[in-house]
Amino acid sequence: MERRDFFKKAAVTAGAAALGSSTLEAGITHQPIDNRKPMDVAFPEKRPLIVYSDRPPLLETPRDVFTSALTPNDQFFVRWHMPDIPTFIDPDKFTISVNGLVNKELQISLNDLKTKYEQVDVTAVLQCGGNSRSAFTPTAGGIQWGNGAMGCARWRGVRLKDILDKAGLKKEAEWIGFNGSEKAAYYETPNFIRELKLDELDDHVILAYEMNGEDLPYLNGYPLRLIIPGSYSDSWVKMLSNITVTNEYKKLFFMDIAYRVPDNATEGETPEKKFPKTKPITKMNVKSIIGYPVDGATLSHKSEVVVRGVAWDDGHGIEKVMVSIDNGKTWGEALLDSGRLGRYAYRAFRFHFKPKGYGQLKIMAKAMNKIGKEQPLAKDIPWNHGGYKYNGIDEVTVEVV
Amino acid sequence: MNTKKLFLAAAIAASPLFAQVSAKVEVPYVAFPVKMGAGFDEVQANCLMCHSFGYIINQGKQSKKFWRGKVNKMIVHFKAPINQKSADIITAYLFEHYGNGQEK
Ligand code: HEC
Repeated sequence: MERRDFFKKAAVTAGAAALGSSTLEAGITHQPIDNRKPMDVAFPEKRPLIVYSDRPPLLETPRDVFTSALTPNDQFFVRWHMPDIPTFIDPDKFTISVNGLVNKELQISLNDLKTKYEQVDVTAVLQCGGNSRSAFTPTAGGIQWGNGAMGCARWRGVRLKDILDKAGLKKEAEWIGFNGSEKAAYYETPNFIRELKLDELDDHVILAYEMNGEDLPYLNGYPLRLIIPGSYSDSWVKMLSNITVTNEYKKLFFMDIAYRVPDNATEGETPEKKFPKTKPITKMNVKSIIGYPVDGATLSHKSEVVVRGVAWDDGHGIEKVMVSIDNGKTWGEALLDSGRLGRYAYRAFRFHFKPKGYGQLKIMAKAMNKIGKEQPLAKDIPWNHGGYKYNGIDEVTVEVV
Repeated sequence: MNTKKLFLAAAIAASPLFAQVSAKVEVPYVAFPVKMGAGFDEVQANCLMCHSFGYIINQGKQSKKFWRGKVNKMIVHFKAPINQKSADIITAYLFEHYGNGQEK
């Protein structure tokens, strides 16, 4: 069918709720859009998810998935930047090249990667820096994500460091460029390349080929992607094909303009007066999301409710999660899971209560990490033009009947 | 309308994606709801070669200044080959159908 026909048919709703925005002197921050529903069309290897775009594929995980510490592969969100993704990858022929300022250039096959290097596992949260962007008014640049541009998985692969050691870094090596296989449709559009400074890369950074015990799903970067535990996912390059070591930094749109926040103490600015200096988003801040119940749910007044959700930060570790069912007047401490998935993983939490009355009830969750950082109220988060790093106290409102 | 651009749009739409699953798989097409009206042919010719219509409608209803800014962002940052006349028509179309009634 021709593309034109699809526009004429126009049957399916993409679920883009309108946030009537206006120009404001200062930006305001509120709860992100939370009413989008999965589309009935399923993408390859995925269950139906919230769909923003088919080309490139942009899929969001619905809130009710966030009740356990691992996110199933078929419900894991999907985010590509460029529409041109290879149409076929042969696992027997695929290689990753390591070149630039190295003593020995490498071409590593998938099989070599799985057999000739030490295999390591890390469970880590993958969260888009623009997750929850729809919390910002006026509308911040980029896709207007709700809360589900994130997930947590057990990744298996090989340490980047072991690969670089094998290639041998030259003395002047300073930057590492990572190329994925996604390509822009137009030759002048900047490609999605990431550059990381050598000293930002620690032992936890791996090249992963496996996710939750299965091959990486195609849409999550098959056959190989970069995993940078604790950092936002903008640098977790998918379908990684090339690693180049350099001594100087190249100017790149997706490094120099996108994925940056104001370089000041609050990381905030006003829409009329953007802060001139910016810095990369890098490390994740502390955040939690309620997976059950979801916003708008109906609960019987007789129920023994167990609120469930997940909490995470950049690896300092979650200290506790507090839950309120009285608009934030009082808070009770939630129970946390064992934490045995490691400090980069979600901590699943649960909180039991019995509704005391009827009508609307707001449930709020607030995480606190081991260095004393806690989630602010949405309204206290300063606006930023890229809509990055929203981590407001989560809220769902249910109806007790 | 520029035939080269249309060709590119068609090329994206037609490329199937294969995963490491036994059968060939294809990313489905999504029928994003499009409001038909004056200027849509310019949107179709200029705005859909790099991404779907979904990129546009998830922004919600916005001001004229917002839409002009987005069209300019595509030209300046992503090098979209769009001339001024088309940019004006597209801005007017977006504001008409996905506008919030405010100039800025
Ligand atoms: C030359 C390629 C190209 C063309 C042509 C193009 N865009 Fe984009 N557009 C992009 C890229 C690249 C992004 C960002 C992709 C990403 O990060 O996912 C984007 C993102 C967007 C977004 C998301 C919001 C944002 O700020 O990133 C909107 C809205 C958008 N484009 C509208 C348009 C409109 C309207 C047109 C037609 C005037 C258009 N685009 C034409 C490349 C293009």
